[in-house]
Amino acid sequence: MTSKRPELRVISGIDAMRGVGATEPKGFWADAWSRVLGRTGAIIALGWIGVIALLAIFAPLLASGHPLVLTDTATGTRSWPLFDNLSASDLLLVIGAVVGVPWVSFPLRIARSTRLAALLIAGLQAGLTVVASVGVAEWFGSPARDLALRQASREAWFAWAASGGVALLFALAAMFVSPFASRAARLVQVLIVAALCVVCLSQRWTPALVDVDRYSELEASGAATAIYTLVPWSPTQGRTSLNLVPPGTRLADKLPAFEGTVPGERRFVMGTDNVGRDALSQMLHACRLSISIGIVSTGLAVLIGVSVGALMGYFGGKVDLIFFRVVEIFMAIPVLFLLIVAAGVLPRNTYVMMAIIGCVTWTGAARFTRAEFLKLRSQDFVQSARAAGLPLRSILFRHMLPNGVTPVLVDSSFAVAAAITFEATLSFLGLGPEGQPSWGQLLASATGATGLFNWWLAIFPGLAIFLTVLSYNVLGEALRDAIDPKLRKAAQ
Amino acid sequence: MLAYVVRRLLLMIPTLLGITLLVFMLLALAPGGIGAGLTASSGQVDGSKLALQQAYLEDRYGLKDPVLVQYGRWLARIAPIKFGTPDQITLAGEHKSKPRAIDAPPLPEWFPLSDAAIAARDAATLKRGVVAAINETEREDAQRAYRRLETDYVSSRAAYRALTKKLGDELIEYAIAQQISGVRTSHGDCRFDVIATTPAKRDASNWAAIEALATQIDAAYIRALKSYQLIDVAFAAKPFREAGVAIVPAVISIGSPDLGVAFSKGRPSSVLIASALPVTILLNVIAFPIIYLIAVPSGVLAAARRGKWFDILSGGLFVALWSIPVVWSGVLAVGYLASNQYVGAFPVAGLHDSLADSWTFLPSFRDDGAFERGYLLDLFWHICLPVACLVYTGFAILAKQTRAAMLDNYSADYVRTARAKGVDRGTVAVHHVFRNSLLPVITVFVTVFPATLAGSIVIERIFSVPGMGSLLLEAITNRDRELVLANTFMVACVNLLALLLADILYAAADPRVSYE
Repeated sequence: MTSKRPELRVISGIDAMRGVGATEPKGFWADAWSRVLGRTGAIIALGWIGVIALLAIFAPLLASGHPLVLTDTATGTRSWPLFDNLSASDLLLVIGAVVGVPWVSFPLRIARSTRLAALLIAGLQAGLTVVASVGVAEWFGSPARDLALRQASREAWFAWAASGGVALLFALAAMFVSPFASRAARLVQVLIVAALCVVCLSQRWTPALVDVDRYSELEASGAATAIYTLVPWSPTQGRTSLNLVPPGTRLADKLPAFEGTVPGERRFVMGTDNVGRDALSQMLHACRLSISIGIVSTGLAVLIGVSVGALMGYFGGKVDLIFFRVVEIFMAIPVLFLLIVAAGVLPRNTYVMMAIIGCVTWTGAARFTRAEFLKLRSQDFVQSARAAGLPLRSILFRHMLPNGVTPVLVDSSFAVAAAITFEATLSFLGLGPEGQPSWGQLLASATGATGLFNWWLAIFPGLAIFLTVLSYNVLGEALRDAIDPKLRKAAQ
Repeated sequence: MLAYVVRRLLLMIPTLLGITLLVFMLLALAPGGIGAGLTASSGQVDGSKLALQQAYLEDRYGLKDPVLVQYGRWLARIAPIKFGTPDQITLAGEHKSKPRAIDAPPLPEWFPLSDAAIAARDAATLKRGVVAAINETEREDAQRAYRRLETDYVSSRAAYRALTKKLGDELIEYAIAQQISGVRTSHGDCRFDVIATTPAKRDASNWAAIEALATQIDAAYIRALKSYQLIDVAFAAKPFREAGVAIVPAVISIGSPDLGVAFSKGRPSSVLIASALPVTILLNVIAFPIIYLIAVPSGVLAAARRGKWFDILSGGLFVALWSIPVVWSGVLAVGYLASNQYVGAFPVAGLHDSLADSWTFLPSFRDDGAFERGYLLDLFWHICLPVACLVYTGFAILAKQTRAAMLDNYSADYVRTARAKGVDRGTVAVHHVFRNSLLPVITVFVTVFPATLAGSIVIERIFSVPGMGSLLLEAITNRDRELVLANTFMVACVNLLALLLADILYAAADPRVSYE
């Protein structure tokens, strides 16, 4: 991959036929990607998305009411409340990011695509393990179970056993999808992930309930000194006496008891919301919701849409007619109406929100795939694949899909932008996930019941939504311009 | 063309069925099923009252039936073709169907009907003579009499059903003690037919309670039967206007759909929608010409100046406008332009000033020479900001589309020919390229209309405009099944009709397109 021009030299015809001196043509995606990177706007957009993704991963470390180090003034002993109070998923996410980024970016002998796939599979394995373990913990802890069972589930051995069982189950599943060729490499990969999961989960099986306000009282009384990370407030930490404080206010301005102490000098850099929670801390934690909902729900929509669209386009006729009626049903009403009904009646949590956005917005991907497959199915390579007696799965997904997936992938950048907007809108309307900070929810408290307009709650979260949506849209435009041959020809 | 329109209208029927079924299923997926919202909102503290309310709602909406049966019942009410005795419509717009008969009490094998109950039941078959007299005396105010009788009927019916449920609960306890299995339905109700196959064990521990309940049920049955006789005769006397036109009297009639009663408001859904739908349509009807008026020229201009600063600047502007979420622009508009803290030039909420009803329709000068803006101008002043918020997203989509369509045509051969024979740039842009780019501009309506319709939900919430969006949000927070269904059904109708209109315009604009 050198940019130096090949030296000019005389070669024979036979050498030329052997390919001596020929340059490898760039692949389709590599070519498109370099075109995207040639645009300033697209680079800025990618940078912003990267920043938001990093903030999303490291939010619990950046903004927390738990101090990084707490030193007891009398005895001089140190404790690490921030680390002690990280949840298992936060910890795994941080480990994954710290290990994963160098794993993918440094040049190694293994192909980069394999490394990326391995990272994705590992992430999926860890994520499912955490989600399933939380489900197990909730099932055993629910009041519907027997008292003996509930008590047993609080024992330390139970945490090890349960998380170990769940981790082994998903490790087994991950063995089948791991991208490594050798069995030993696969085994090492899934076992490392499973072991990490078990260690993190069993230590944090039941969440510790700590009063975050205690630290500032300890500090104010001089019993301890604390060192905080960037933002010294948790997103859920709120006092009604601190509600709707404008940006830059000190704690002591509102609570005179703290005047003259260290915590009294701490500021609410972006103000507080209507229940007195710090806005900046919520903004940072909300990155997580926006990024994950945007990507997961679009992934789900693409999965459903491509499968349905492939069947429609390949079979045509009756199958097409029936499925197209289904697509029409989803297009009969603006998507937001359906989303409001679904979000209004279903449980309010992040996973349900991802599922409903994905299940309602798949029609675009289905229509794109259908159109592509209709064109492709009469082409020679598809005909020969059929004549060779390949199974349907192979024809659809191995031969046709790589040739017909481009429009869907280009559109998915816009779809992520739309999903982020939907999430913000639903949260704004009070139908978002409960107990999760989100930009839309912050925005909703800008015009409160008091009739006053709190500008800081309108400007900051609004700008965050706008810039993220804009980035995905700009990226989508750049990608489309890079890929659309018609536009490219017109530009030359 | 007519055949095409008719076919499209017919194709709308399965689509509408699908979308309503989807919404119905979603409501059924809710924890606790469709009934949860209905019963949860009636949160009285009084236990016996709650049982009555629950019995009434279960009976009225058939909540114990499978979801598909309930959906079928909803469809039968929506359908314009009705079988059986036609409904009657009250002045408030509420549909009244023929009252349903009272079922006989459970377990006749164990607790045979009392003589009084048998007499009352037989009277039900011979009733006319008995109650006609009562009905005659109240004919002068049939509607008021009907309402009184209806209250009586509903409450006695609910009391009877609540007692039956209570008996069922006691019997389940009895069956568990007697080790009789399979007495519970999937809803946790008692299966009386299973109990009836076993002999009664009079020495069971809760037998006294069961027997007492059976006696109470007998009395409640008599009361319910009597109230049913009265209401049935009162209904047959037609106190209200009959819904629809009878094709075969008392068998088939064609009438307006019954969208049900929104229980959270106590008013018919159709009335609520009739006041909300025009507001939403007004917002969209005003927004659309504005969108087209500014978007098409800017798209044309951007294409004509391709690659120049205007194109680059406007391209960036389109993407930026497209990316501003309506929630943000709405909040900013209310906060900075409407709220008194900053500019305060626009009203904060609603569609009219509180005094607007006393004003003249058009702007005028009062007797003392003061200017009065009048009803119409006041309305426009109130919808300025909402419409502005609706316009900008649609503008961005449409302008981008126009530009792309124009660029497609600019590279066509006929444009080169026209330029080669000396036609000037402006004429080429307007007469050649633009006229050929009209089609995609019309097609994009299919994207823009649902987008602005969805945008108006948020805008109506932010600006407190009483339209379809506000209605849906209220309905969903109250879990008002009837209103949610009616709302989504009507929005789907409007949306589908608008899309059909776009297709007809498409054919009108391009003689090559024909739907024959």
